[in-house]
Amino acid sequence: MSYEFVPYPFEAKRHSARLPALRDGLEKRRHPVVVVGGGPVGYTTALGLASHGVPVVVIEADDSVCSGSRAICISRRSLEIADRLGALPGFLEIGLPWTGGRSFYRDTEVLHFSMPQDENQKLPPMVNLAQYSIEQVLLDRAETQPALINIRWQTRVTGIEARDDGVRLTLATPDGDYALQADWVVAADGGRSFLRDALGLKLEGTSYEGRYVIVDILLDSDRPTERLAYFDPACNPGSTVLVHKQPGNVWRIDYQLRDGEDPDAAIRPENVMPRVESLLSMMGEKGAWKPIWSGIYKANALTLPRYRHGRVMFAGDAAHLVPIFGVRGANSGIDDADNLAWKLAFVVKDLASSTLLDSYSIERVAAARENLSHGTKSTEFMAPPSFAFDLMRTAVLGLAKRQPSLSSLINPRQTSAITYATSPLNAAPERSAEFAAGPVPGAVLPECPITIADGSGTREGHLTDLLGPHFTALVFSDDSAVPAELEALDRALAAKQVPFKRVALTRRLGDAAPHGWDHTGRLFPMYGAEPGTLYLVRPDGHVLGRWRQADAAEALAAIDRALNTQSNRE
Amino acid sequence: MTDTELDAVYTRLCKTMTQVGEPGAPLFLARFALLAIDRIGDAEAAKRLIDAAAEDLAPAAGR
Repeated sequence: MSYEFVPYPFEAKRHSARLPALRDGLEKRRHPVVVVGGGPVGYTTALGLASHGVPVVVIEADDSVCSGSRAICISRRSLEIADRLGALPGFLEIGLPWTGGRSFYRDTEVLHFSMPQDENQKLPPMVNLAQYSIEQVLLDRAETQPALINIRWQTRVTGIEARDDGVRLTLATPDGDYALQADWVVAADGGRSFLRDALGLKLEGTSYEGRYVIVDILLDSDRPTERLAYFDPACNPGSTVLVHKQPGNVWRIDYQLRDGEDPDAAIRPENVMPRVESLLSMMGEKGAWKPIWSGIYKANALTLPRYRHGRVMFAGDAAHLVPIFGVRGANSGIDDADNLAWKLAFVVKDLASSTLLDSYSIERVAAARENLSHGTKSTEFMAPPSFAFDLMRTAVLGLAKRQPSLSSLINPRQTSAITYATSPLNAAPERSAEFAAGPVPGAVLPECPITIADGSGTREGHLTDLLGPHFTALVFSDDSAVPAELEALDRALAAKQVPFKRVALTRRLGDAAPHGWDHTGRLFPMYGAEPGTLYLVRPDGHVLGRWRQADAAEALAAIDRALNTQSNRE
Repeated sequence: MTDTELDAVYTRLCKTMTQVGEPGAPLFLARFALLAIDRIGDAEAAKRLIDAAAEDLAPAAGR
């Protein structure tokens, strides 16, 4: 039997290389920020910088968005970030939303899990879409801002000279080579990062031996979107198989190679296709299918110990490699980009000292370690690294149906928003401790519906709609009147040109604009708030500090401290 | 015990058994079972757990 591969239901546009204006092989213009790598992380960084008005050059080695099966799941947190960057509609239009999954041991369902989803949410916990679509959505958004985002296709970095006062990159294109100078470089050049190697940096952690084959197929099926995991299935005894539905009738199948299987042989179509066929038959999928793509995957749990190296900032897979189980790869990279973009923008605009960038490294290295710890647990279950993990997994799978309290061990621990609990930016911990509920400094905002009054009328919205490329003061009150003391905060920050917005969150619909009305009555208790309560929120949506009764001087000090923070923790 | 604590205990058990090595694993698990029985301190509960652990396991061939 021969297997005819078909293309993805997606045609990537090809982009040509362009040379900038040069003098003696050096680009005439020096750039504040150059991002190396046009993937999800690079584009998110560029969009974030542009949202703050900072121009950015993106260097991409290829001539189009990526191909093949890579990231496939975008988390609620990533969607929130995309929303702030104006890229949300594309994700929701293409992506398939889902909320849970099922795990089977042989022919018995042993776990049915749900991700957090309730009436307060604006966004689904997860959407599935292929990485080429993720990149295309972000690229489409970037191309609407040509004055700020300059993308250079078919341009490969061949050298880096990082100095105290700037970075020089040498670049190769089909139209000729050149060099450029930048104040700051973001290394978002992926798992095999050239910049990481060029600077002599090494990832630290664990590489796992267990290998998975990844196959994308085209199959028309009305089966719902959920994560399916089959342990020791009849179609592939002794193995583990994962199935994810993607847009455009693409189905992603991951299956574990058995011990001793030769990866080179295992990836040959004559070995792959019969396993897919028997999986589909076991699932009861009788429709015709065609293979699109196949590859092999080995789990890594690795990170750089620091993400800031002078004027070069590492993000995404260039900074850390997390196992695919739990979908933390692209999602943690998008979170890196969101954390980095505002800090870099503030430094470029001279609103913050460059030590603010050390907090990027501290916060995101801590996040990577948390992601790695969850990812490692998932990997140890999905690809047991020793006979003991294998034996214990067999015990869990066999007992889970009768003993549901054990089934949490099977849960894939999907990615969720991370709290920067030990961030040096977190303000006024003793004030935060006075709250009985609500997000602590370093946490993201729990979502809640509100009615947004913007002067021209009212509309239904959510709390995160109030965020933007600025610090946000959420002031809880009975109506929309503003305490005089907080107007002083506005003036003080305006004098420093720090981007800042103050929004009242009210128990009643007021007449001053803008404000958010807690029409459900759920917001105040969710945030442990009373009239007078203040939450100060960073541009990336993490809480900087909170006060049961607003203290303008302490709030101003918290922002001042963040922007001039002295870091001794690295 | 929270899910996170259960996770941590599970991983500790797996890692310790890995260090003990495959030949020593049955003895390691037997000793763990004895310590757990002693800690449970309830004969009826322990007997029920023994039966539950054996459920679905095919008897060894030839016995």
